[in-house]
Amino acid sequence: MKRKLIAAIGVAGMMVSIAACGSGSGDKGDKGKADGGAKSLTVWVMEGSAPAGWTDEINKAFAAKHPGVTVKVETQQWTDIQTKVTAALSEDTPPDVLELGNTQTAGYAATGGLADLTGDKAKLGYDSWNKGMLPSNELDGKLYSAPWYATNRVVIYDKAAYAKAGVTPPKTRAEWIEGLKKLKAADPKSQPIYLPGQSWYVLAGFIWDEGGDLAVKDGDKWKGSLSSPEAAAAMNFYKELASYSTAPKDKDEATPQQSTDVVPKGGVASWIGLGWEAGGAIDALKKAGKTADFGYFPIPGKTADKPGSVFFGGSNLAVAERSQNKDLAKEWLAIAASKELQAKYAELAGGASLPNNDAAQFAPAAGSFAEAMKQAASVGKITPVTPGWANVETAPNPVKDFMTKVLQGTDPKAAGEAADKVINERINQQ
Amino acid sequence: MSATTSPAPKKYRARKRITAGAVVKNVSALVIAAVFVFPVYWMFSSSLKPQHQILTKDPVFAFTPTFENYTTATGVDLFWTYVTNSLVVTLGAVLVALLVALLASFALARMKFRGRKGIVLVVMMAQMAPWEVMVIAMYMISRENDMLNSIPVLTLIYFVMVLPFTIWTLRGFIAAVPVELEEAAQIDGCTRGQAFRKVIFPLLAPGLMSTSIFGFITAWNEFAMILLLNKDKESQTLTLWLTQFQTAFGSDWGATMAASTLFALPVLIVFLFLQRKAVGGMTAGAVKG
Amino acid sequence: MTVDSPGTATAGPQDAPGRAARKSQTPPAPAGPKEVRQPSRGRRSLPGGLVPYLLVAPALVSMALLLLYPLIRNVVLSFQQLNRKEFITHETVWIGFDNYTALLGDPDFWTVVVRSVVFTAVNVMLIMAVGTGIGLLLNRLGKKMRLVLSLALVFAWAMPIVASVTVFQWLFDEQFGVANWVMRTLGFSGYEQHNWFETGFSTLVISLLLLVWGSVPFVALNMYAALTTIGSELYEAAKMDGANGWRTFWAVVFPNLKPFFLVTTFLEIIWIFKAFTQIYAMNKGGPDRASETLPVFAYIEGVGQFHYGVAAAVSVLTIVMLVAIMSFYFRLILKQEEQL
Repeated sequence: MKRKLIAAIGVAGMMVSIAACGSGSGDKGDKGKADGGAKSLTVWVMEGSAPAGWTDEINKAFAAKHPGVTVKVETQQWTDIQTKVTAALSEDTPPDVLELGNTQTAGYAATGGLADLTGDKAKLGYDSWNKGMLPSNELDGKLYSAPWYATNRVVIYDKAAYAKAGVTPPKTRAEWIEGLKKLKAADPKSQPIYLPGQSWYVLAGFIWDEGGDLAVKDGDKWKGSLSSPEAAAAMNFYKELASYSTAPKDKDEATPQQSTDVVPKGGVASWIGLGWEAGGAIDALKKAGKTADFGYFPIPGKTADKPGSVFFGGSNLAVAERSQNKDLAKEWLAIAASKELQAKYAELAGGASLPNNDAAQFAPAAGSFAEAMKQAASVGKITPVTPGWANVETAPNPVKDFMTKVLQGTDPKAAGEAADKVINERINQQ
Repeated sequence: MSATTSPAPKKYRARKRITAGAVVKNVSALVIAAVFVFPVYWMFSSSLKPQHQILTKDPVFAFTPTFENYTTATGVDLFWTYVTNSLVVTLGAVLVALLVALLASFALARMKFRGRKGIVLVVMMAQMAPWEVMVIAMYMISRENDMLNSIPVLTLIYFVMVLPFTIWTLRGFIAAVPVELEEAAQIDGCTRGQAFRKVIFPLLAPGLMSTSIFGFITAWNEFAMILLLNKDKESQTLTLWLTQFQTAFGSDWGATMAASTLFALPVLIVFLFLQRKAVGGMTAGAVKG
Repeated sequence: MTVDSPGTATAGPQDAPGRAARKSQTPPAPAGPKEVRQPSRGRRSLPGGLVPYLLVAPALVSMALLLLYPLIRNVVLSFQQLNRKEFITHETVWIGFDNYTALLGDPDFWTVVVRSVVFTAVNVMLIMAVGTGIGLLLNRLGKKMRLVLSLALVFAWAMPIVASVTVFQWLFDEQFGVANWVMRTLGFSGYEQHNWFETGFSTLVISLLLLVWGSVPFVALNMYAALTTIGSELYEAAKMDGANGWRTFWAVVFPNLKPFFLVTTFLEIIWIFKAFTQIYAMNKGGPDRASETLPVFAYIEGVGQFHYGVAAAVSVLTIVMLVAIMSFYFRLILKQEEQL
């Protein structure tokens, strides 16, 4: 019986595969992509990155030099972006210019998907770029992208709630916790701070404060270091902070979106966020007929002389290796990265993030987000600069799993070891 | 559900007699109906609520309906492109599948030929195809042959996705039509083809309808392929539109539910409409292997 | 996601069960749905030779092109190292069975396998039991009640999967979900802000609920349609023999509807084992990869982690497993085929 069955499967398989051969080759007619005629550029920017009008300015400047070239700017969502970018870079008609997160750029550079820009340094204005933003754009001495902007997180607080509880912006971690206690006592129904369990960039700052890191180089290999005592200390502090929050322990700040879904509903005295998030919350409050009354302070450090370390997030702009119009793409990139357009960017962003050129900086107003952000910029750091780091960040992110586990009661060391195992697997592969 | 709960003979029970068994039966039917309808109801009611009545700790049951969420959901760029694409892809796939399946299932149900069993087996196995994980192979093939971002290619893929089930089901329906009918027609001078067209085909209407519903649902729902194959917004469909409210503006549950309602509506309409026409005599399809 | 939605094959909201329509068809032989045998004289009129092959050709060719060819490609990919770099540069790196040995030696993989099998088994058993129960109930209801219940089932059945997943996420939302409210209203404590997706197990339970909810209508409505083919004399006879409901089921209903149970279980096993969206979209296979079943595992390894070669190997192993589980069914159904 069994033999009969196998025979039947075999025959069926054979028949079908013969059919496949016959018609498979017949169908492969050449369908050349109609690409001739007018040239066009496609640019991918991320949701929330480019302020309205900025890309229009670039396109205007670009059109003046290259009339007849159409530029299509498409906004992409952060969700599943690595999947999308990876596939796009492998295609023959990729986006010509694309925005990449600064933690992910090296990963793409190592795959050969990005055009080598080393020879275009002068044209792109390499020498005037912010030196702190450079490392994520380079790999093995070659340049693969131009820095665009950098930003870091600060604590955003509700001035009224702080005043009511008699709390002033803290300078040290101890004062911070003290203030949260008072806030809790003053209004037991509110959350003194909204801190979801997987805000891992915040944790990274705490780890750096302790002198540790997410991963360290060991010989020519990298290994995760979440099982280190530094990471445990950082995570314990995170846990203490999170105990003042009723935010979900297994979600990051984007689910639900803290700026637009959580904060505007009220009952949140403070939260940790980026410039565009603060802006989003202000807009959402306005829509709901309320007015935002936010104050900002840098994340407090262990001692008063230095603010807490922060993750220096940001984006770079790269040109796809497979782009059909690499030269035009570089032209566009040169305009976007120029001092004039960067100044325009800083202005339009209201100082919410730093442009790639210090000279293009927008002077922040007193009491603004930008002012608080600038204070912390001196202690900004980035994730380990290795192509493998991008693999670590892909879902499911081991750092996030580590955090949720500890918040749910697992010993930090044990959770850290499990996370390190995953990091070690991922960080050393291309 | 046990037969003992109803003392009266079931088919001929007196209409007015109320027994404990009948009460149990009807109450459980109502409860089950409520359980099955609730998620659908909740989707619909959430879609009509103003934002501040959606995100509440205790659910709001009484509210003034608003179409605000629908405006948000349909106000998305390229909404009508997605609608058109979804319709073209879905209807195209279903129609082609019906046509191709009709030919094949007739042969499989009515003719004896070498390799028939093997083909039946292939059709059965084809239903197990793990399409989600074949996405990568499919993507590589499309990439090599310049077939990305193409609506016709997507239609063809969906067509093959629904084809095996369509063949299998239709074959059951054809087998259920008595051979005598066909033979009578042939005695009357019809050719085999004419006999098929004049005798079998009309009897197949319910089968065609119910299989097309299946195809419709499958193609309408597809998600993994299009995510990778059609990254160009102009060639995307409503499934991707449906998920975008959960990322772009935080989770806009109101808009998500409005989008879900709009997305479910065509399927429901097709379903209710076709099923009404296809009432009865439908045991053939899946029931007969 | 794809072929998952139990489409349809049989009845919907029928207010008049097989009444008119059934009569127009095969007489309701007590032996249940048994196909009419092809009488030998029918063969005379069979066009010889090529015609059947011509009729099946379009179907076979298209399946070969768009199903078999990608499947073969998939097998080929499983012997390659295909990570992000090879993927982007279109490089081909052969590594033999490395993907397979790595997988088969990975305890995580086996955890996923066991999880998938258990998940499928529990799910299919529940679906069949609940579906059969509701089918029997439908058969015993009055006309109006039957219409109400069938309509409710059709609503659940017709819900597109992507939409139903978002609805279930919404029902079980930690902050604003109805599920927490229901628990609180029923007087349970600890549901102020209960996280229904806290563990892989609880996530899978929600996915299971969704799958049962979405699949039961298919079984129930088919079951009911099939029941209408059983003549009422049979029940009467059973009743006269003093059989109770349970015995009637096993003595009358089950034997008559064996083909129905066979085919429906077959389809449900396939559909549940392959279920992807209902699990992946619920919690992305998390937390900590604890709700990954085989298709989700393959997707995360491939599309999420850019180990396309490994993912291809997982899918090949999935197919092999499915064929192994199903070979029993293939045999049974092929046996039926011989009677045709």
